[in-house]
Amino acid sequence: MFTPSQMSRLLIVASKDQLTIVIKELYRSHLFHIEDFVVDGREGYDGFSIGMPLTGASEVSSELVKVRSIENFFLIHPGDIEIKEKRHYADLKSTIEHELPTIERELEDLTNKRSKLEVTLKECEQKIAEIIPFMEIPIELEMFRGYKGFTVVAGYISKDVKIPEPVDVFISSGKTKRFIVAIFPNERRIDIEHVLQEANFHAVPIPAETGTPKTRIDIYNDQIAHAKMEIEGINQKLADIKLTHTEFLVACEEILKMDVERTEVPLRFATIDQVFVAEGWVPTDTVTSIKDALNSVTQGKIFVTELEIGKNDPVPVEYNNPSFAQPSQLLMDTYSRPKYTELDPTILISIVFPIFFGIILGDVGYGLLLLGMCLVLRKFVKGEEGQQLLIVLRNASISSIFFGILYSEFLGFPLPWLYVLPSRHLNIGGEGGHGPNIPGLMMMAIWIGIIHITLGRTLAIINHVRQDRGSHRIKTVLANAGWIFVIWGILALIWSMISMPFMPDLTGLPPIVMGLNVSALIGIVALIAGVIFIFSESPLEIVELPTIFSHSLSYSRLVAVGLSSVAIAMVVNYISIGMLIEPQFKQITLVGVIFIVIGVIVFLAGHVLNTLLGIIGGSLHSIRLHYVEFFTKFYKGGGKKYSPFGFKRTFTED
Amino acid sequence: MADLVSNVTAVGMSVEAIKATQIGMKALAAAIAISTTAFAAAWAEMAIGSAAVGATAENKDVFGLVLLLTVIPETIVIFGLVVALLLIFS
Repeated sequence: MFTPSQMSRLLIVASKDQLTIVIKELYRSHLFHIEDFVVDGREGYDGFSIGMPLTGASEVSSELVKVRSIENFFLIHPGDIEIKEKRHYADLKSTIEHELPTIERELEDLTNKRSKLEVTLKECEQKIAEIIPFMEIPIELEMFRGYKGFTVVAGYISKDVKIPEPVDVFISSGKTKRFIVAIFPNERRIDIEHVLQEANFHAVPIPAETGTPKTRIDIYNDQIAHAKMEIEGINQKLADIKLTHTEFLVACEEILKMDVERTEVPLRFATIDQVFVAEGWVPTDTVTSIKDALNSVTQGKIFVTELEIGKNDPVPVEYNNPSFAQPSQLLMDTYSRPKYTELDPTILISIVFPIFFGIILGDVGYGLLLLGMCLVLRKFVKGEEGQQLLIVLRNASISSIFFGILYSEFLGFPLPWLYVLPSRHLNIGGEGGHGPNIPGLMMMAIWIGIIHITLGRTLAIINHVRQDRGSHRIKTVLANAGWIFVIWGILALIWSMISMPFMPDLTGLPPIVMGLNVSALIGIVALIAGVIFIFSESPLEIVELPTIFSHSLSYSRLVAVGLSSVAIAMVVNYISIGMLIEPQFKQITLVGVIFIVIGVIVFLAGHVLNTLLGIIGGSLHSIRLHYVEFFTKFYKGGGKKYSPFGFKRTFTED
Repeated sequence: MADLVSNVTAVGMSVEAIKATQIGMKALAAAIAISTTAFAAAWAEMAIGSAAVGATAENKDVFGLVLLLTVIPETIVIFGLVVALLLIFS
């Protein structure tokens, strides 16, 4: 909690004949985050080089490529597949050798056949297109060719032509484009071509066919129908193959991926003659169990020791949060994973994010809609990240319902009890009532901002105490305390001068010096001390002082975004009910019924739109307040993700 | 007060008219506050949004991050809205 899991650095040394067993055990344990060996002349690694992959690496890789290409062909995504029972590694290994080439061959045969049929299909269509213009001419196609003394031309003309005799001409009817076939003696060719050219003649080839055009077209149509039927049959066969082999393929991919990772992992180890050295990270509480397991599988022929963690070591970071806060890790990873030495604010985000969301979208109706949506979507969405996001949204929607009760709001309508928080009910539609309590809402938002920012600065102090050393630590701690002094100093000063709602009224205290009362004096002292502390750490930070105001005021978005959502809800209610539906009930007519239907549509569409806007606005602005206003005070991030060697198997087991 | 009323009536405006004008001025001021800041926020989001779409086309994983970057300038319009609300309601 508040800190990542504690890590230990392990050094594993063993002779190369133990390599396979050690890799298998490390893979099985799924705990060892390997530190890649780089030949950089590090002390103690003279003469070491990067290891060689285990035997069989290239065969396994090529098989993996095959499986993936088949999966790709069938559009199989392992993430979307659910299997009935897990397959055994050994069984799969024995069948994969002959099964995989069989599937591949079958697939190749079928796709080849299909592409040939598709070519035939295209050819037939092409031929039909060539014959169609000759349909109107009632002679057989062989009559158009094979003359020695005559030339035959066919094509389209866009103007009427008169071709001088002796010529046989067929011209089809048509307004803009006519089909023409002309048969004439060879010696007239130049004249006739000239005449045709004037009529914008566009030649088409004469089909090398026999019989009447209609019979030829019928024959080709038959061929097309036949080819289509065969393609359909092939597609059906492919679908059958997909259905029978999907589970086998995803299981194959899993074990091959596993084998590839295992055979290639020596590339990340340091080796010399007969020995290999692996360095990596494991959670501290698992060190003993890993040591014991490695000792037992190698029968003691291994040396495992814990190394000291250096200040600049890139320690991988694994979150260590209670289960309720784990989904919020998604929000942390979107920004940046914490460094190993840094405080992990996941718990804070998991509590404060829903609260902010609730303050913005505090409406029982919208909360219920969002809650229902999350619960339904959780059944359909697969993948860890999607589930995490839905849990975060579910918590946010519960908070929205809670704040909706406090605000007394249901889809923009007031609930039958009075609001506990300052009212957000606007005067839309002239219903009167109390109207919104804007100053109250603003003060509430600013209070939240001040507390959130102070919390951020406090966490910064803790971070610097943990991370820094010597005089730098004192300076950074004081600077962050200085920021807190400045914020609260300014507040004390304001309280001593102006009386505001929801803020302590200290204007009544008796003045002590120069008309300033005790609150003002404390404020001034805190302000000056704070500025001095900030200045002593970094003079440039002074220019950041106005951010105290801009960041505190930025929390007014909690109110502003919420109010805009209330305004939209009330406008939708006013247009749909007040303007369209209600007036019709005085006297029901046919037109009135249509108005009522339109009113219902406006009501539904408006509230769906507002729910979506509310989700986007509520979540983005809440998370932004964390990232921009809160995290900038104390959080750096940039930690490396802990990704242990091995992976969680879903389709296979040993 | 009587002098003031007589002066006002001398320029052709009653006290009610002045009050109405003041409310109108407030409403106008609120409108200016919200419209100019909305325009500014929209302009800023235009540039970020187009860059965000480009970045998402290159790499879909950055969608969450760029969506967030796109709403950063919304602070401008929120300040405008706050000013407008304070003008009208307080």
